[in-house]
Amino acid sequence: MTEVERHSYDVVVIGAGGAGLRAVIEARQRGLSVAVVCKSLFGKAHTVMAEGGCAASMGNANSNDNWQVHFRDTMRGGKFLNNWRMAELHAREAPDRVWELESYGALFDRTKDGRISQRNFGGHTYPRLAHVGDRTGLELIRTMQQKIVSLQQEDYKQYGDYEARVKVFAECTITELLKDGGRIAGAFGYWRESGRFVLFETPAVVVATGGIGKSFKVTSNSWEYTGDGHALALRAGASLINMEFVQFHPTGMVWPPSVKGILVTEGVRGDGGVLKNSQGERFMFRYIPDVFKGQYADSEDEADRWYDDADNNRRTPDLLPRDEVARAINAEVKEGRGSPHGGVFLDIASRLPTEEIKRRLPSMYHQFKELADVDITKEPMEVGPTCHYVMGGIEVDPDTASSSVPGLFAAGECSGGMHGSNRLGGNSLSDLLVFGRRAGLGAASYVESLAERPVVADADITAAAKLAVAPFDPPADGVDAENPYTLHTELQQSMNDLVGIIRKADEIAKALDKLGEIRKRIRGVTVEGHRQYNPGWHLALDLRNMLVVSECVAQAALRRTESRGGHTRDDHPQMDSQWRNTLLVCTSPGGDPLAPDVAVDAKPQDPMRQDLLELFELSELEKYYTEDELADHPERTA
Amino acid sequence: MTAVAENPVHDTSQIPAPEGSLTITVKIQRFNPELDDEPHWESYDVPALPTDRVLNLLMNIKNYVDGTLSFRRSCAHGICGSDAMQINGINRLACKVLVKDLLAKKGKQTTITVAPIKGLPTMKDLYVDMEPFFEAYRAVKPYLIAYGNEPTRERTQSAADRERFDDTTKCILCACCTSSCPVYWADGSYFGPAAIVNAHRFIFDSRDEGAEERLDILNDAEGVWRCRTTFNCTDACPRGIQVTKAIQEVKRALLFKRI
Repeated sequence: MTEVERHSYDVVVIGAGGAGLRAVIEARQRGLSVAVVCKSLFGKAHTVMAEGGCAASMGNANSNDNWQVHFRDTMRGGKFLNNWRMAELHAREAPDRVWELESYGALFDRTKDGRISQRNFGGHTYPRLAHVGDRTGLELIRTMQQKIVSLQQEDYKQYGDYEARVKVFAECTITELLKDGGRIAGAFGYWRESGRFVLFETPAVVVATGGIGKSFKVTSNSWEYTGDGHALALRAGASLINMEFVQFHPTGMVWPPSVKGILVTEGVRGDGGVLKNSQGERFMFRYIPDVFKGQYADSEDEADRWYDDADNNRRTPDLLPRDEVARAINAEVKEGRGSPHGGVFLDIASRLPTEEIKRRLPSMYHQFKELADVDITKEPMEVGPTCHYVMGGIEVDPDTASSSVPGLFAAGECSGGMHGSNRLGGNSLSDLLVFGRRAGLGAASYVESLAERPVVADADITAAAKLAVAPFDPPADGVDAENPYTLHTELQQSMNDLVGIIRKADEIAKALDKLGEIRKRIRGVTVEGHRQYNPGWHLALDLRNMLVVSECVAQAALRRTESRGGHTRDDHPQMDSQWRNTLLVCTSPGGDPLAPDVAVDAKPQDPMRQDLLELFELSELEKYYTEDELADHPERTA
Repeated sequence: MTAVAENPVHDTSQIPAPEGSLTITVKIQRFNPELDDEPHWESYDVPALPTDRVLNLLMNIKNYVDGTLSFRRSCAHGICGSDAMQINGINRLACKVLVKDLLAKKGKQTTITVAPIKGLPTMKDLYVDMEPFFEAYRAVKPYLIAYGNEPTRERTQSAADRERFDDTTKCILCACCTSSCPVYWADGSYFGPAAIVNAHRFIFDSRDEGAEERLDILNDAEGVWRCRTTFNCTDACPRGIQVTKAIQEVKRALLFKRI
């Protein structure tokens, strides 16, 4: 029998970013015992890197804003592929979640009358992002970390034990979800420091593990983003949707090489920064796509007036949704009008006074000063696209965040549907709060409804342990030993080059061949040393997740023969209404648990509820929908 | 704990050497509790660009030379606060220190020494036990304390009130300050600067009603009065927080019973 430390909880949350912590708070408030398991130290989650803000139609900066406008912006940003129910819940509930966070103690920048200030961002009709300078994600995590400390101190008063109801398992990785007759029964993993195994017996798991960016070479994501939750859920029998949609943030640092990919907040453009090519031209005016014609300024004068008078002018195309801006930058560079290091220029220096730049964008000022030796108050930044966010993820029920596997819930970046084919900036932090809370509630209700607890089988624990230590065994006869880092580098390179921002069928096919090769070689991955804090071993395990997730991305990308949002096919450059309502669903029919098989199937999405559909003008819907889909529209039948 | 000098030769030829790189020596304090009684130094001659950060060098050593080299890192640009370590004897985040700022004078070989932060138990290599640090953080009640009914929208706060405690909200809990404090080295029961910074963040928040409770905690024998105003903490803070000033403000609040 494998030696394993055992714990029992009502709910286990995997991931301590924004979504995970919000789920913990909710499940704890419902009276359940909760464990939160995270790969890093508590409070260091990827959410800290969100800079610009949290979108919520509080209407503090422009009283015309309301949830319907936010809903419309979100659907447009996602090119109408979004799960409309998730987009609706998100737009309706985001203001309450922000106010609630303020009541927990979060710091926000304020309006003159002391309310939460809101800033402009790409794709949002009104200034909508609640923010703290350019460190909003850090404040969001810190606030929820503080809230959890306060709940633990309440529990101490009541039970004499800080960890009676909420316990944090930091620097601990889950490698396997265990089931009992189709339902979740537990989660198996290891302590990163000691390498010792740990088993959580629990009827409900909330996966909140974030994204998959570490499958790409140039990314703004940190090392944790290896698609763990995506892979765990897939292997446990859940389905992933929209995996072909990967967001490349238009503005990452491009120079020096050591910092390539690090994010430059969209807040730079929200606060007046503009994109220019090597000829000094503000090129975005040439890239307003048909679906957004009429909604954006078509001259520099109008765009500049908009910052001060948004009611009578249209916004600058520098603030088009991220997919549009990233493609435009890519095209400028390709046509030879890029900056010296292969990006374009982002100019705030000539647009705002020095002190104002330092006040509004302090982190950006320091980031460029310290890492690139560039003073952004005096010279333009060089920026280019960087892999930033995956729209695809675990398919969930919008109201309860439940996956198709009983007891398995998902929230935040690792869930799919909410953002459709492209996420608007600022909609991630609000997504975390809205659906983190709903996942906590969904898991709590599920646990309360159970007549009996599922049981983890000993054989499953043994099998999970065996799979985890496989990299310490010498490879089987005829299999070459492989360094996990080498395989990781090759995987990142081919995803970056072949399934990146612009895709073609033959290149994706090449990537799939490469992934097939890695799938064979991964069996030879061997690591030195012992289980005690051994980063090489950790990477060997994370690599399995990156491989299966990359296969999902590449297979779905090959299948979708159109361009939409975060999926651009050079060989199918148009958006195709026939595809609008089609979801590509990835499942795993089984196979070797080291590198499970992936199947992709198409299925239609439920049509949008009539009252929501009527929030849009027919003329706008006609740009996205097929004739047949609109045949029953009231304006048509009237 | 003195590290015993020891210099096994490491094959670093697998590390890619980009154009314009020079070879520098990275001397790392290594410790594996399974094998070693004491920490020891190991040196690695690695290619480096002046624009590389120390974190890049450590990643290269881990990826190409020794997969067991242990250190924390996450966001890699100074926001998460995971990779605090002593670089040439000074507490820094490895992701924010550029090689060009550490280069030796012309003609001399550059050596960069890297050791774990002090005052916290070393678990392995550069990896320390952060629990005592977080215990002190939790002890100062680092959360908003407010009585009365929960508001349905936001509480209002004037720009001036918000500005009052802006500096201490920038803390990323990296432990650079606390582990540079000689008082903390000598006596781990002192709360340390980071905990006081996080208390300050709430004591001076106009929305908070728990200042008195927190000031009582900080008035304790292990509280603010242990501070000897050496300014190590302020020098070490990668966020530029005026840590010593914040501690002084808390002392003053205690002396004059007003914030």
